[in-house]
Amino acid sequence: MRNGGDNRGRLLLISLIVTSLFLITLDLRGVAVINGLRSGSQSALSPVQSAAATIFRPVGNFFSDVTRLGRTRSEIERLKAANEKLRNSLINRKNADAELQQLKSVLDLAGTAKYKVVSAKVISLGSTSSFTQTISIDAGTNLGVRQNMTVISGLGLVGVVKISYPNHALVQLTTDPAFRVGARVAGSQQIGILSGQGTSKAVLQLLDNQATLKVGDVILARGSQNNRPFVPGVPIGEVTSVDNAAGSVTQTADVKLYANFSTLSVIAVVVGAPEADPRDALVPKAPVPKPVPTVTIYATPSESPTP
Amino acid sequence: MFARRFLISFPIFATMFVVQEAIVSQFKIFGGGFSLFLVFALLWAALSTPEFGALTGFGAGLLMDLSQTTSSPMGQWTLIMILAGFSIAYLGYGDDNFRGNPISLVVIVALAVPITRFVYLVIGLMLGGELGSLLHVFFSLLNSALWSIAIVPLMMPIVTRIHSALFQEANRG
Repeated sequence: MRNGGDNRGRLLLISLIVTSLFLITLDLRGVAVINGLRSGSQSALSPVQSAAATIFRPVGNFFSDVTRLGRTRSEIERLKAANEKLRNSLINRKNADAELQQLKSVLDLAGTAKYKVVSAKVISLGSTSSFTQTISIDAGTNLGVRQNMTVISGLGLVGVVKISYPNHALVQLTTDPAFRVGARVAGSQQIGILSGQGTSKAVLQLLDNQATLKVGDVILARGSQNNRPFVPGVPIGEVTSVDNAAGSVTQTADVKLYANFSTLSVIAVVVGAPEADPRDALVPKAPVPKPVPTVTIYATPSESPTP
Repeated sequence: MFARRFLISFPIFATMFVVQEAIVSQFKIFGGGFSLFLVFALLWAALSTPEFGALTGFGAGLLMDLSQTTSSPMGQWTLIMILAGFSIAYLGYGDDNFRGNPISLVVIVALAVPITRFVYLVIGLMLGGELGSLLHVFFSLLNSALWSIAIVPLMMPIVTRIHSALFQEANRG
């Protein structure tokens, strides 16, 4: 009886494993039914995700803010001061205004380069279980969003549209380990390949072994053939350290990405590229110190002080 | 009996999947966060027989494969979760001292989560996936273990009650 039970268990286990291997084989062979299953489940889940985003995003933003506390004292002080100043005006419309600000900055960036964009809201973040870094947005093929389109925020490159559904799309973030983009250094125009590392930093590998990089160099997207998946000129990040190891074939550098992936809320998908390459027009301007007005007071003591 | 138990469990897993995809995915949590669904599935499997653990893993893996954020081939999570579900159930099967001890369950599930993810990563590499920074992978696995230690004790009383209520009822019926 026990042997019968064991045999049945083994048979079940083998059947399940064979079924999963069969699924993998079908998927790798590109069988449409498998893609349809994922698409169908996402079409069903998308309205629930949108509703949950509306309800839980403020709570999510709170947790995101908590994890960033303590990184730098000066940043906290600056944020405290700004928070105090803005508290009264933002008390009821904090989320709406933040989204408006992100939308404005992304439209500014797109307008400077003459990109034709479709703005979208982030409706969910990808699961970290699969070691991928993705987001879902609430714009899809109905708004002209297609696979392999560039996704930007007001600060720079966010990622690329990986899969597009009728009303939403999946975006692969620049931080994803599988992400690759052709990049060039603003000014020197040296070209290389930038790879995501799963963190807010990426690695740039130059193609020319004679080229040199320095800390502070701005990295821009080089652009792809027919502007897909990448339109040219999008700011990606800034070089923070250069690997000058002797014997290395090409020079590599760590690049701090401009986009803030922990506070992504409103982004834009570039659906139409400019006729002319914007070159270095989108390089972020260095902050200019504002002159502080000074007031000089002359005090002259009187000859006979009054009691 | 397996089919009946599977059908009883399925709505619970579907609900947990929707919670994971719609709610937990809204939070950017320290250390990469956690997969509530993965923890739940492994905990459920740990309370079952090895055969039903494998079946639980099959259903849970299938749902994880349907997630739009999964970039791996359909069936990869299914394969790994079958093995994980079977293994975790097999470890404590027949040992009431082990199953009756909440600390053993917490430890085994907390270990199973990063091991399952690691196996997923290895199989992903074999199928042509990307690894990224090794340090990031290490911290991600470590954080998932720590988050599991924090979450499993919170989930365990609910999961064990639902599990025993459903399956005792099923056995009686």
